[in-house]
Amino acid sequence: MSKFSCSRNLMIGAGFAALLATLGVSQLALQGKAEAQRDVSAPKFEVDPFWPKPLPNHWVMGMTIGLWVDSNDNVWIVHRANTVDRTLNQADRGLGECCKAAPPVLAFDKAGNLIHAWGGPGQGYEWPESNHGIFVDHKGNVWIGGNGGPDSHILKFTQDGKFLAQYGKAGARRKAGAAADATVEASQAGFVGNSNDPDNFGRVAKIFVDAKTNEAYVADGYLNKRVAVIDGDTGKMKRYWGAYGNKPDDAPLGAYDPKAPKAQQFRTPVHCADVSVDRLVYVCDRVNDRLQVFTTEGKFVKEMYYKTDTRSDGSVWDIAFSKDPEQKYIFMADGVNENVVVIARQDLKPLTTFGDGGNHPGEFHGVHSIATDSKGNIFTTETYEGRRVQKFVFKGMGPVTKFDQGVPRPDSK
Amino acid sequence: MSSNSVRRQLLLLLAALIFLCRPAAAHEIPVSATLQMFVKPEGQTLKVLVRVPLTTYVDGEYPRRPGDYVDLAKVDPSLRAAATITVVQPLKMYEGERALPEPRIVSTRLSLDSDRSFADYKSALAHVTGPPLPQETNIFWEQAKLDMLLEYPIRSDRSSFAMHAAFDRLAENLATAVQFIAPGGITRIYDLHGDAGLVKLNPSWTHAAWLFVKMGFHHILEGTDHLLFLFCLVIPFRRVRPLIPIVTAFTVAHSITLIASAYGLAPDALWFPPLIETLIALSIVYMALENIIVEQPARRWIITFFFGLVHGFGFSFVLRETLQFAGDHILSSLLAFNVGVEIGQLVMLLLFVPLLNLLFSRVVARRLGTIILSALVAHQAWHWMEDRFDALSQFPWPAITASGVLDALRWVTALVVLAALVWLVSLLMRRREQARGLSGQ
Repeated sequence: MSKFSCSRNLMIGAGFAALLATLGVSQLALQGKAEAQRDVSAPKFEVDPFWPKPLPNHWVMGMTIGLWVDSNDNVWIVHRANTVDRTLNQADRGLGECCKAAPPVLAFDKAGNLIHAWGGPGQGYEWPESNHGIFVDHKGNVWIGGNGGPDSHILKFTQDGKFLAQYGKAGARRKAGAAADATVEASQAGFVGNSNDPDNFGRVAKIFVDAKTNEAYVADGYLNKRVAVIDGDTGKMKRYWGAYGNKPDDAPLGAYDPKAPKAQQFRTPVHCADVSVDRLVYVCDRVNDRLQVFTTEGKFVKEMYYKTDTRSDGSVWDIAFSKDPEQKYIFMADGVNENVVVIARQDLKPLTTFGDGGNHPGEFHGVHSIATDSKGNIFTTETYEGRRVQKFVFKGMGPVTKFDQGVPRPDSK
Repeated sequence: MSSNSVRRQLLLLLAALIFLCRPAAAHEIPVSATLQMFVKPEGQTLKVLVRVPLTTYVDGEYPRRPGDYVDLAKVDPSLRAAATITVVQPLKMYEGERALPEPRIVSTRLSLDSDRSFADYKSALAHVTGPPLPQETNIFWEQAKLDMLLEYPIRSDRSSFAMHAAFDRLAENLATAVQFIAPGGITRIYDLHGDAGLVKLNPSWTHAAWLFVKMGFHHILEGTDHLLFLFCLVIPFRRVRPLIPIVTAFTVAHSITLIASAYGLAPDALWFPPLIETLIALSIVYMALENIIVEQPARRWIITFFFGLVHGFGFSFVLRETLQFAGDHILSSLLAFNVGVEIGQLVMLLLFVPLLNLLFSRVVARRLGTIILSALVAHQAWHWMEDRFDALSQFPWPAITASGVLDALRWVTALVVLAALVWLVSLLMRRREQARGLSGQ
């Protein structure tokens, strides 16, 4: 072998050694920083842009306003078929091939296949003017609320869409002498809340059925200002309460002001009332930017405020619990700040957020409802212009490197 | 009898025949369903606990009470009938080579959709043999689950056991989660889809190895992109012998990343599979272009080695689901898979090389033929690359964090170490060639 090739080989060998040494030193330098970042950890998620699969029949969704994952990990949503934009429902109007508003209740299996599609007005019940909220209970029955003008009732169906029961009557909140009107705005004006009504509701936002006691916790709602608890089989009212466990009062509170003293009543809408494994009820007092916690009997335990400068529709839209046995984390949908907040349930402190405003996968426009499946994956729905359901795959625990992660990008690991 | 009367009667008869002979309405099976099974040999009994959703058997007869709820006071015979049709008949259990006789249905229960008893064997057994639901429970058949305990007579709980569950008729996409609990408590978990054929619940290492050799062999023969890559490697060569180091380098490289992936060392981000698929397509484009530009590609084994690292990740995505059948023999099964891949590659070489020689001697000159074939392959691979990149671009870019950069540096270090090893091997090979050349002089 020539001298030239010897020295060339030596140089190459030295080059490899130098490169490996540089890499080793870099790793040592970063080790400390990486370990510091690991001190605070939180569940990590990554958006799955290919879930669910496209709907058949040229079906499209409108404002997607309710979400639940049942015990088989099937994802149920309810959307407002009447909010599909007129440029998108041209098939419904006989003007072209695309598209048609999908039935209001849709269910998807784990793979994202559509497995149920039903809903709308029918015999024997009053379909909500504006449906809102969906829940599948421990017996497999499907509960639906409504927050339209005259909506003061809850419906219950089988998973195939067979009507089972209606609790409350539509129109119960109508002011005496007020006439029904075709427009939503006018129909909203003719109604008044009664948070002490034992039989009817005031525009229900969400229902959560506690399997242990077969009681339904009703976030009641967009007109009333209470959490109502009813029997899961009969719909009979068992108890209800307002903010801080107070007797609910429907007197107007005026616009939310973060500098004003804490409101002693919920502001409308009371948007969620979910029960944790250790028997605490978490209530979304959306416009007041706070989450209040009660016992199942309505005794106030604690509260936390989130981004208190958020006005408009508020910051506390919906919550879901993590799927570990202790439900260590709460995932909160914030439809004004357009993100999901990961909260430590023990002290209600926010750990991190993910998401941002927009239309791309992992972004939101009106993130409204949130739910988790048995694998810890998160599902969200969007109202406003979002009008979809998204899946965020649980990728294990990871260090929280910054509070606002933006769009849930994966770690480069 | 008048002719009109006869004609009327014939028409009536015809109508009746059409009505009676119309095809029976097909039972609609659900789009997806999940079955859960526990299998536990104990002494001379094989206990099998099964949970099946009754959406898979909605045509069954069952007693009802007002409101269309199941009459729980009278439902037991219907549950036994449902158990027989949905599970007992399609399920075959084996002890060694011997098919076990039909089991005894020890117990059946109707359960709420949300019941969590089947989270583990102990609670599932307690549930199925414990008290049934209170009779006043309002439950719909289609929203309930059927739980059952079956017992098969066996000779010994130390035997090897297998099952064949032809449950695919129960749903379009049926998943069966099986836990086999061996004596001594070791549990193996299988996630089966549709009719998975004969599944050995406690395989020996030879069985697992043979299964994976076959799998590797079939995978390389059925993987169009791997075959096209192999084809590109082969085109410039007239004989098999010079190809052996190239193909071996490919096999060594994909073994490294395949084993790394099986032991959880690969990224598990959602963007990783689409990235690998894109890089696989890119590797084919590269090889094809090299064939066009360079007449006699030298030291091809080096670039093939690095592309082999990428292809190994591609193989691992396929193996993810089937690795459960390796039981306790993961490493030997992976090595067996690689043996299968190597055998498949050699078979393809033995096919490609003579065919190419024939083509280049009878139809088109070698150089022109190489360019044409490589251009065709490059064209196909380019389109694949575009499609796969489209899918990849749906995912947001990874976040740049200190721990993320640290992990990336570790991967780069591993690559540099591999590159150094490859360079050393290449150096040694060149010295050997030089030594041979000198001794020949």
